[in-house]
Amino acid sequence: MEKDKNKSENPLKVNRRHFFSQLSVGIGSLALGSLLIPDLFKGTTENPLSQPLGIPHYAPKAKRIIYLFQAGAPSQLETFDYKPILRKRMGEDLPESIRKGQRLTNMTANQDKFPLMPPKVGFKQHGESQTWISDFFPHIAKIADDITVVRSMHTEAINHDPAITFLQTGSQISGRPSMGSWLSYGLGSENKNLPSFVVLTSRGKGNSQGLYSKLWSSGFLDSKHQGVLLRSGKDPVLYLNDPEGLSRSDKRHLLDHVSSLNKLHHVETGDDEIESRIAQYEMAYRMQMSVPDVMDISKEPQSIIDLYGEGCQVPGTYAANALQARRLAENGVRFIQLYHQGWDQHGNLHNEMAGQAKDVDQASAALVLDLKQRGMLDDTLVVWGGEFGRGNYAQGKFDPENYGRDHHPKAFSIWMAGGGIKPGLNYGQTDEFGYNVVENPVHINDFHATLMHTMGLDHEQLIYKYQGRRFRLTDVAGNVIKDLLA
Amino acid sequence: MTVITKIKWVDYVVFGLSLFLIFCLVFDSYIELPRLIAWLGRWHPLVLHFPIVLLLLCVFLGLTNKKIPKLLLTLAVIFALVTAISGFFLGKETGVKGELLFWHQWLGGGLALLAAIWYWLDGVSIENKILTKILQVAIIGLVFFTGHYGGMVTHGEDFLALPLEKREEKIPENPLIYKDVVGRILDKKCVSCHNPNKKKGELLMTSLNELLAGGEVGNTIIPGNPQESELIRRIHLPIEDGDHMPPDGKKPLDANEIQILEQWIAKGASDTLRLQHLEASEPLAGLIRNLMQPDPNEKWVRLPKVADSTILRWSSDYLTIRRIAGGVNALSVNLYKSPAYEAKQLTDLKFISENIVQMDISGIPIGQEEMNLVASCPNLEWLEIDQTPISDNELDTLKVLSDLKILKIYSTAISDKSIPVFKKLKGLQKLYLWNTKISSNALNELKNANPTLKIDSGIDEELQNTFVKQDSLSKN
Repeated sequence: MEKDKNKSENPLKVNRRHFFSQLSVGIGSLALGSLLIPDLFKGTTENPLSQPLGIPHYAPKAKRIIYLFQAGAPSQLETFDYKPILRKRMGEDLPESIRKGQRLTNMTANQDKFPLMPPKVGFKQHGESQTWISDFFPHIAKIADDITVVRSMHTEAINHDPAITFLQTGSQISGRPSMGSWLSYGLGSENKNLPSFVVLTSRGKGNSQGLYSKLWSSGFLDSKHQGVLLRSGKDPVLYLNDPEGLSRSDKRHLLDHVSSLNKLHHVETGDDEIESRIAQYEMAYRMQMSVPDVMDISKEPQSIIDLYGEGCQVPGTYAANALQARRLAENGVRFIQLYHQGWDQHGNLHNEMAGQAKDVDQASAALVLDLKQRGMLDDTLVVWGGEFGRGNYAQGKFDPENYGRDHHPKAFSIWMAGGGIKPGLNYGQTDEFGYNVVENPVHINDFHATLMHTMGLDHEQLIYKYQGRRFRLTDVAGNVIKDLLA
Repeated sequence: MTVITKIKWVDYVVFGLSLFLIFCLVFDSYIELPRLIAWLGRWHPLVLHFPIVLLLLCVFLGLTNKKIPKLLLTLAVIFALVTAISGFFLGKETGVKGELLFWHQWLGGGLALLAAIWYWLDGVSIENKILTKILQVAIIGLVFFTGHYGGMVTHGEDFLALPLEKREEKIPENPLIYKDVVGRILDKKCVSCHNPNKKKGELLMTSLNELLAGGEVGNTIIPGNPQESELIRRIHLPIEDGDHMPPDGKKPLDANEIQILEQWIAKGASDTLRLQHLEASEPLAGLIRNLMQPDPNEKWVRLPKVADSTILRWSSDYLTIRRIAGGVNALSVNLYKSPAYEAKQLTDLKFISENIVQMDISGIPIGQEEMNLVASCPNLEWLEIDQTPISDNELDTLKVLSDLKILKIYSTAISDKSIPVFKKLKGLQKLYLWNTKISSNALNELKNANPTLKIDSGIDEELQNTFVKQDSLSKN
């Protein structure tokens, strides 16, 4: 008996009878299992989450977002947050009751004094909304009733890279998908001939910080959701054009063959990334036609050129990118991310900001007006803002004519227009020193939740499971700011 | 020989509980419960499930002529009595008992006592089988009705009503603001706890007089003074606050509803005020007119079904067909310029024309054929045909689109002849028509004919000029 048992339990000593008798039980139970659980052998390719992908959770107000990112963090005190007390108490030390031990970067942490510094630029109220806007922005002042200024933004990071990464991906540590990638993942593409997430960069003369492609990376999401950087000049997308002598039909043959090889490989390995690569080759093929058409601004009438400013004809400028953004939006790109570098004014703030503002003021306002007359402000959300604010005290020696400001995460100002956001609203308030938020704070997570809401997505429902954990753009926080919604 | 059953302590318990229950029911109005005893009533919703199952089980065994274990019946009866008593305790919290609660209480009490009678009858062996059967059937009936009334007390009277009957009535033209607007908000969000059956905080909210009378706290509504009105104060409390209304877990009022209540109280909380009595510019009038707009989702629910596979099959690289939102059969259609455009791409969509609510075919070389397709989409709300070669003749086909809200038709060759078409589109809210051949006279005429229509005739000339003059990026 004992011997027999050993024999039957040793897998190498299974005889023919044993094999068939066990096989029948095995097959029987598999069959039973598949009857009971119809999807038992279907693998796990289907999304286990309840919400269908590529369709908004509810009817969206905004179909696309144009994000005018002012990289380097423009000072709220010289843009939209007017604090007259800074002039009254100029040079006085920042009261500890206001600073409350806020950590500082090592650029000012060792200063003995934190003398309050007023803005050198003037401020006026504009429009029926009586929005305070600095004299740096005469054109944006003209659209004061179309925009909503949020003065109560706050973030957690005090240095550029973590702060900009936080704003773009919802995490200070790199590696998560960018906002545009999340939206592409959740909503799919509107026009299959263009990427759903496009990035355009420009650079002002002011002090700049680095911009890295990780900011528009798709992280752990499928690579088709990655932001595509469109460069200025004759080759907007690198390597998109065919080499000399290759005809369009030759290219088609080439793609068909590559694609059939890839499909074979996909059958072998089951790697989904291969499928998305096949799709990308196809899209690139169509982009060879669609991109030059979208990028060609020569068809724009003179009145539009005048509106954005003559500078919009110079490729690579912010104005050119703003006009480009409108053309991309018209062609169904979901998320258009502009970056304008040069807003990091640790010194020579007034002059540098004047230059930076000149770069962006007219074109930003023109974009809003242009979208408005095309009825696109009804379904396009425009956001203008940086990654954090700047301190209300002088960096380095106290000189009201030539001063700088250090980073400040506790409060900063942005504006938004269109896409289901109430126009002409002044939302949130900082204290009289412009240091802390005292009314209606908007954290980065709340901001993301609100943006997603306008696009018809519930930020708590758009989830991607990766390495055993569920991820969201807002991770485990964030509330939609309902008061901002029209 | 007669067998004298030994009286066990269980019999005493059943007897005692029955007596106590009868006492409660008879002397209902004289009883006031100590707090701790009243708290026991809170267990009613938990305990009540046991007697339902156990009693039905006993009846099932009895009716199928099986032996009912004595222990099962004992447990069933004790639970029935405990449930009835705890229910009585819970009912004492309500103050004045409404009709529903009255019936629930007497049916429940009757059921428990009937079960007790069965227990005693079973104790002595009874001859009359018919009588037992009648008793068992009666228990089934009582379980059903007691449960039903109990359910209506907790979940509301129309909980089991068919969903079709629940559809909200449309707000009539020129509504009475209290009856047709404010009253409905209260019905939807407040009345489930403040009605004659469940008078929480001694407050009734089913009529204006009751509101003005107030509840435990008083000052529920102070006409003309929303800030001091308890109703408004509680609505504005943070949701974590125990006094917030509606309480945590119930659906809160939305921003519009709160504003309507506030404005109505500020206007004197009258029940004779009508929409027409208000100035058009008054915020309350705007809020109510917004409410009177049909909810698009409501309309979209009734659209014919479209399968995902259909959407996928008819979409192409240059034609994007999408659902407006998950689970909705309303579709948006976007057509992009393709190297080989054919009218067929669009006209093929005829069979889903009822589902199309948004369409963007701007910049496409469309003609009459495509416009016929557009005109065959009766539910179209949003249409972009700007920068196309269409003219007055083709536009005329659109006059049937009564649901159209947004029309973009700038940069086309339409002229004053199209003004009558725009006038016919009664639902139109926004119209974009700059860079056309329409004269400013015709435009004014249209504005007068439809004052609520927002017409965008391009960027204001003066503004455009300041942008040119102040060009911050001029090359010089």
